[in-house]
Amino acid sequence: MNRFAGEFAATFLRNKGAVAGLGVLVLVGVVAATASLLFPFSPWDMRGMPFAHPGEADMLLGGDSLGRDVAAGIAYGARVSLLIGAVSTLAAVLIGISLGAIAGYAGGSVDDAIMRFTEFFQTVPSFLLAVVLVAIFSPSIASIVAAIAIVSWPPVARVIRAEFLSLRSREFVHAAEVLGRSRAAIIFREILPNALSPIIVLASLMVASAILLESGLSFLGLGDPNLMSWGFMIGAGRSVIRIAWWMSVFPGLAIFLTVLALNLVGEGLSDALNPRLARQR
Amino acid sequence: MSLLAVRDLTIALPKGADRAHAVEAMSFGLEAGEILCIVGESGSGKSVSTGAIVGLLPSALAVTAGSIVFEDRNLLGLSAAEMRLLRGNRIGMIFQEPMTALNPLMRVGDQIAEALKVHGAADSEGRVRELVEAVHLPDPDRIVHSYPHLLSGGQRQRVMIAMALALEPSLLIADEPTTALDVTTQMQILGLIKEIQSRRGMGVLFITHDFGVVAEIADRVVVMQHGRIVESGSAEQVLNQPQHAYTRALIAAVPHRARAIEPPASGRPVLELVSVRKSYLRRGGLFSPHVRVPAVQDADIELRQGETLGLVGESGSGKSTLARCIVNLAKPEEGAIRFHDTDLRRLARRHWKPFRKRIQMVFQDPFASLNPRRRVGEIIAEGPMAHGTPRAVAESKARELLSLVQLDPSAAGRFPHEFSGGQRQRIGIARALAMEPELLIADEPVSALDVSVQAQILTLLEELRQRLGLTMLFITHDLRVAAQVCGRVAVMQRGIIVEQGQTSEVFSNPKHPYTQSLLDSIPGRHWLPPVTR
Repeated sequence: MNRFAGEFAATFLRNKGAVAGLGVLVLVGVVAATASLLFPFSPWDMRGMPFAHPGEADMLLGGDSLGRDVAAGIAYGARVSLLIGAVSTLAAVLIGISLGAIAGYAGGSVDDAIMRFTEFFQTVPSFLLAVVLVAIFSPSIASIVAAIAIVSWPPVARVIRAEFLSLRSREFVHAAEVLGRSRAAIIFREILPNALSPIIVLASLMVASAILLESGLSFLGLGDPNLMSWGFMIGAGRSVIRIAWWMSVFPGLAIFLTVLALNLVGEGLSDALNPRLARQR
Repeated sequence: MSLLAVRDLTIALPKGADRAHAVEAMSFGLEAGEILCIVGESGSGKSVSTGAIVGLLPSALAVTAGSIVFEDRNLLGLSAAEMRLLRGNRIGMIFQEPMTALNPLMRVGDQIAEALKVHGAADSEGRVRELVEAVHLPDPDRIVHSYPHLLSGGQRQRVMIAMALALEPSLLIADEPTTALDVTTQMQILGLIKEIQSRRGMGVLFITHDFGVVAEIADRVVVMQHGRIVESGSAEQVLNQPQHAYTRALIAAVPHRARAIEPPASGRPVLELVSVRKSYLRRGGLFSPHVRVPAVQDADIELRQGETLGLVGESGSGKSTLARCIVNLAKPEEGAIRFHDTDLRRLARRHWKPFRKRIQMVFQDPFASLNPRRRVGEIIAEGPMAHGTPRAVAESKARELLSLVQLDPSAAGRFPHEFSGGQRQRIGIARALAMEPELLIADEPVSALDVSVQAQILTLLEELRQRLGLTMLFITHDLRVAAQVCGRVAVMQRGIIVEQGQTSEVFSNPKHPYTQSLLDSIPGRHWLPPVTR
């Protein structure tokens, strides 16, 4: 495995954008992890005058309409964004892999049924569906994660199905069949490890879109009311953007940089996992 | 003055490759009206050298020394634009893979006309027809207006030849043009190339790995190994009195009819197929019904204890489908597959499991048949483990098997991509043998391998068969291999077994016209390799 890992790392590191993206992500991660050390108070606490300019009253990025620290909000919001991004992607990938694997391996009418079901989710605009789901189940971090997972698994299912369709007719899968291995062993030990690389790439992009979705929901007031999040901060700053631009611009920048970084990392992963394609470019 | 003179051609490989030069100090000449075969195994540098002649080297490779003089001009000194004028015009090329060499969205006639137009030839329409007739394509009017997908592999290769000939080049370069084709088609294409060459007096540079093809077509032969020419001379001389040890080894590796005649096997039948029938459903269009395409029709086969039955046929004859039916990778619609006294066809998946131990299979493509993400030891041990052998026992057995197939037992800890094609095929065989099967089905086990490796694998299989008392069903398209390996053969054509019997009898006295035509198509059938050593 070492040679694989070495080649993988070398190709990934050759892509400067991906390395920069990884750097930004690490930074966001560190800020999220150390938020309670950097800002040893609740992000909801009043720390100064309302609409304090950036730099005033020890608030690096200014204060909001109630005098809360924007920088602290961003740091605590990073936790929410990363948590929701990671957990909802994990859930979506699990749903997608299970359904896609069954559809691709079984084929025939099972495949047809699962793919029609997938298309049903794909025809409804994902953001609207998420809004409806969160509104029905009342906004909480669990319902937001569930809603995002439910609207973002279909692409995973489609990719996994396509991989399974091509891999299941490969000779090493036939060989496993002839050796008398069980269906579960064939799916999980033979086919799945060979189908994972596109999913890893897709997952990094899905984390980005999950963060965007969460921000969108919070912006509309459908975020978890107990948690500070980037989207909520932009939503709160929206009506006063002309007198307090820092209230929306800094959380906006945080979203922009994180999502951009995830996309760059995704592209780097895709190059490193498909070295033949990358070299042709 | 020869048509083409290559002198001291040296092409460097990028750093980190397994040798410094792809081609080293290569010199040869080609006269007009002559067919020169460049023979070598994969990686010997034969394709790279012709790439240099037409100026189509991959960008990582560079010519470091030597000259290529064609019609009194040094090709290495020409600009890209000058080279383009020569290609297609004075030098024609045919490639190995006819299925992908044509543009699927363009009618055949237009593609040939395009070759003419690029070099500014007038009156293309009449000329296209002429060319299509010259390569003996049936029904020229229809062919000119059809799209490539309607043509068979052999027909497409004829179209490629027509395009290469469009501007009457003085040099034709053919890079393994018949390797992807069936034997009967191969023979027709070889005949066509030879006919056109003698009619027009072209020089032909023919690259191949097959000494049978060399015997069929060559005037002169150049043998390459590791980027160097190890032997060259007239075909007669190289084929019958090879001087260099490598040439001798290659020629000795060519399968030739040498199996001693054995008494017919008289053990009890291990496997009996009774009128097995399998067809595939092809989806019709939106308004047309599904079509049933028969793949195997009424196949009757009996395999007795300890014998090797060869299943011979061209691609699409249904021989692989039949093998897949036996191991339950495909479900036949009718007939019985009796293994000892059990009809395997009627078994449910879980009742099949005990039989998995007793029937094993070796696959064709050594690069696709091993899971790239598992270690070799696991690959071999997983079968017995799935049947309840404890891990430690299975793993130590895997090591033993690796030495049985003549690999180092330390190979168990490595991944398949670290091995060559021949070594991988040995791993595949070890995997099958780990189950201690009674019946081994080998589906074209050597067709993706070089001749010398092919000979090693065949010897290994034969040794193992005798030592372990295996019964074997050996599927191949190569009649020379079948003649060497099998005691009995069954010949398949379009899903039907047309002839069956003792190998020596079928080959010396074929009853069915199709068997006859297959035998007539064995390349180099009049040449008996000299017995060396």
